[in-house]
Amino acid sequence: MMIVRFIAWLRARLRLVIIACYFILALLIFVDIGIPRHHPHFLGDMIPGFWAGFGFFACVLIIVFSKWLGKKFLFRPEGYYETLDNGGKGNE
Amino acid sequence: MSDAFFFHPALFFFLGMWFLPRLSPGVRRILLLVVPLGAFTIVTTLSHGMHWQAEVGNITLVFGRVDKLAMVFAAVFSLMAIIGAIYGLHVDNPWEHTASWGYVGSALGCVFAGDYLTLFLFWEGLMVSSVCLVFLRKTEESLRAGYRYFLVHVFGGLLLLAGIFLLYHNSGDLSFVAIKEDGAGLAAYLILAGFLLNAAVPPLHAWLPDAYGSATVMGAVFMCAYTTKTAVYALARAFPGFDILIPLGVIMALYGVVYAVLENDARRLLAYHIISQVGYMVTGVGIGTALAINGACAHAYAHILYKALLFMGVGSVLHVTGRSKFSELGGLWRHMPWTLVFTLVGGLSISAFPLFSGFVSKSMVISGAWGDHLPWAALLLTLASAGTFLHTGLKVPYYIWFWREKPPFEPPRGEAPLNMLIAMGIAAFYCIFIGVSPGYLYSLLPYPVDYQPYTAGHIMQSYQILLFTMLGFFLLINKLHPEPKIGLDLDWFYRRGGRWFMVFCRKVLFTIDDGLIKNLHATVALPLLRSFSRLADRHDKRIIDGVVDGSAEAVLHLGNRMRCMLQQGLISRYVAKMLTVLAVTIFIALLLTGK
Repeated sequence: MMIVRFIAWLRARLRLVIIACYFILALLIFVDIGIPRHHPHFLGDMIPGFWAGFGFFACVLIIVFSKWLGKKFLFRPEGYYETLDNGGKGNE
Repeated sequence: MSDAFFFHPALFFFLGMWFLPRLSPGVRRILLLVVPLGAFTIVTTLSHGMHWQAEVGNITLVFGRVDKLAMVFAAVFSLMAIIGAIYGLHVDNPWEHTASWGYVGSALGCVFAGDYLTLFLFWEGLMVSSVCLVFLRKTEESLRAGYRYFLVHVFGGLLLLAGIFLLYHNSGDLSFVAIKEDGAGLAAYLILAGFLLNAAVPPLHAWLPDAYGSATVMGAVFMCAYTTKTAVYALARAFPGFDILIPLGVIMALYGVVYAVLENDARRLLAYHIISQVGYMVTGVGIGTALAINGACAHAYAHILYKALLFMGVGSVLHVTGRSKFSELGGLWRHMPWTLVFTLVGGLSISAFPLFSGFVSKSMVISGAWGDHLPWAALLLTLASAGTFLHTGLKVPYYIWFWREKPPFEPPRGEAPLNMLIAMGIAAFYCIFIGVSPGYLYSLLPYPVDYQPYTAGHIMQSYQILLFTMLGFFLLINKLHPEPKIGLDLDWFYRRGGRWFMVFCRKVLFTIDDGLIKNLHATVALPLLRSFSRLADRHDKRIIDGVVDGSAEAVLHLGNRMRCMLQQGLISRYVAKMLTVLAVTIFIALLLTGK
């Protein structure tokens, strides 16, 4: 199967794939310097690589904030709602 | 106008519902394809105007109001019906198909409704048929989730109905048209609240992940398309430019993203991303400019297709492996590669990668926000789109298909059934087709489109945000590993609240009943009864018996005295008495006869 072979091929060269990805990221910022800016909406649109930083920090912020929220307040074991049901049944 | 062609496309589905359970499986499969195709064809031929109007009392019911806004939604609803039918072709239970057709028909009924009563009729049809799609999963969990879904939507329906009644009371006019924000009163806000509940706007949103995570595989694919998008249509119709919708929409977009991090169940994760994506549409409606309304409609169109594609991909995994939790999945790339490819297409579309459908629709809403001088809204929506890629584009494929070397269970023997793959293929085709040539979608939109998504700056911005999000994902991957936990959401209040009510009933009311009411019976009622009976006893003995016995005693006493007086037992006295009586008798006889 073609897709499976392709994925296996990529997986066998994981280091190379990672290096290629970093190269693409660097290229993105480099090319951004030369991109014409017709209708900048705000200051960020004028700075090359602004959106790269925005994307990265958005990702980190979302993960860290959500995990903090989960650990601090929201996480419960999987059977959370069911255990109370059983507890209820036990009373009957 | 009246001679223009109109045939209600929902009728295809409603008539088909009658036949579905009565046909043999083979014929049913043919019908399953023919009916949505027929509806899809007829939708493209409808002419604009008001059709199928009926006078009831002094209310005009309009079943067929056709205009550009209705047509965008009708087009994608009927297209989705075809894809969903193909995806569910292997499902043998005819009732699942029947429910899904009732659902599609109701959604089309809402879209073409020209007055609030007709809208309400189909609005409730939407709820009743979709709850069947949850019940038909036939697990304990889905039964519970279905009832919760049902109750929440009954509440929403009642809000809507109250608003409609109040509107009729105030103005006497029930036509389903845009409401002006300046004069909006309680009636308008009740209707708005009813719509917002169906659009899953927090805090009225918790029904969505709850129900969609528990529905049947096919049911979830249908459900992710219709309920929320019908609500978006209703909002775009009645409440364009309502400022309150802008912050609500932005909150939705972020809320879904935050909760998606906590989610371990793939279908619930996707459900949270529906909330997030519908947030863009609600924001667009709230901004209310031509560009933003166009964006909301375009995003609804694109969203239905890529979200259905994602639900189909994850649903296929659930169908084949019986699992939908990330913590129980992984390493499937060798076994289900096509499902992986299609799910990736869905993930890239929802993340708005250039050349995929989300790119040409989501950016319209964000541009609308920039254009309306709402930089905070635009930036927060962009932030949410990074989160979208983080989850649906990266987390879902990574933790289902990679992560582990091998699946942590007996590996599946093969791919999903062919019909599922075909349905996914069609949806994937549309996702790429719309992304590559957005002109097709733009021509359907309610306002003329003067928007070019493919500018160098925009493409560059998208690639930077998305690829650097990917960098963040792989750097923080250890923090993201799925945990077999659930995140509490606002359904806690009624799930736990409901339990507490039950506990209250069991513990408090039962104790009161057991301890007091029962004892009341023992300590108060019985003694009361006893003393009463004692009283009655005494009454009976002393008074009734006294009267009866007394009279008897009196008779006896009298008899005794008479006896003592009359019967002394001396023969001489008896003879004397008899002679006296005889003498008196003779004397009277002589007195009477003698002269």
